[in-house]
Amino acid sequence: MAAGIKTVILLSFVLALGFLMIILSCALWSNWLPLLVALTFVLAPLPNAVFASCGADDFSAAYEPGAGPADLGRFLTACVVVTGFALPLVLAHSEVISSGASAMSIVGGALVYGTITAYTATFRQDGSEFD
Amino acid sequence: MALPRSNYDPRRVCVNPFPNFELPFGKYRHAIGIYLAGGLFALANWTFLDAAILSAHAHAPEGDADYPVPVHVTFVDWIPGICSLLGMLIVNFIDKDRIRGEEGFGDSHAVWRARLILFIGFALMAGGLAGSIALLVLKYILAGYEDQFTYYGYANVAQNVALMLSAVVLWIAQSSGGEYEYNLSI
Repeated sequence: MAAGIKTVILLSFVLALGFLMIILSCALWSNWLPLLVALTFVLAPLPNAVFASCGADDFSAAYEPGAGPADLGRFLTACVVVTGFALPLVLAHSEVISSGASAMSIVGGALVYGTITAYTATFRQDGSEFD
Repeated sequence: MALPRSNYDPRRVCVNPFPNFELPFGKYRHAIGIYLAGGLFALANWTFLDAAILSAHAHAPEGDADYPVPVHVTFVDWIPGICSLLGMLIVNFIDKDRIRGEEGFGDSHAVWRARLILFIGFALMAGGLAGSIALLVLKYILAGYEDQFTYYGYANVAQNVALMLSAVVLWIAQSSGGEYEYNLSI
């Protein structure tokens, strides 16, 4: 379990680094609009998490073609992730925020989202060993 | 199924069948297709919103304060995107099994209506694309604005192209089912 604890510590460091980047991108230019990026990336895994239990039950195979709610969750997740990347670019394009703030908030948001995704994947692998 | 597929298949809607795409990525191709469609959808809308926000924040160039901004994104620019969006919604709300007209799926009127609604959906998407191109030509290119403002029209066309691509990817991803052999012969 030492590896698991190391993973958790590493992921929490990366998460804190991501939030640090986003908050710095807001505070350095004293324009707090990039904080929306943090909100977007935190909300990004939510549709998949909500609709995950609607898709397949224990009796269906790997995938059943008619699982509409799971598809809706995937669609919304991809929408929110692209929104998180596009929002700072659009704001920087119309000169609402500076391009440095845009780049920093994109990197920070990607770190936050990557942390959440990696945490979910690791946790799922650990859980399936005891099934 | 003892239906002959040689000359005329009564389950078909179009005369020319869509090609059967064999996508890579094995069993994940369905999920990847859905993710791709969602990403394209958001990209389309953000392309247009970029133009709209840019237009709202447009200002005169440096040192030329009384130079007026000649054109803005107005409600007319939103209409093609709304048409494409409605068309995409309609196309994806249709149950794909109804279009095929399988036996035991209700009366033939249901199949007929499903095809009619599907046609309306596709017509809305094509109308949105055509409308965006018409808008680009009529409002921006013929008026002879600078590149900075013609970009609004190009963004509109890009939005509608990406919405249509998203709908196509979604359709292909949903019809390339796994072991059940869900080949849509539309």
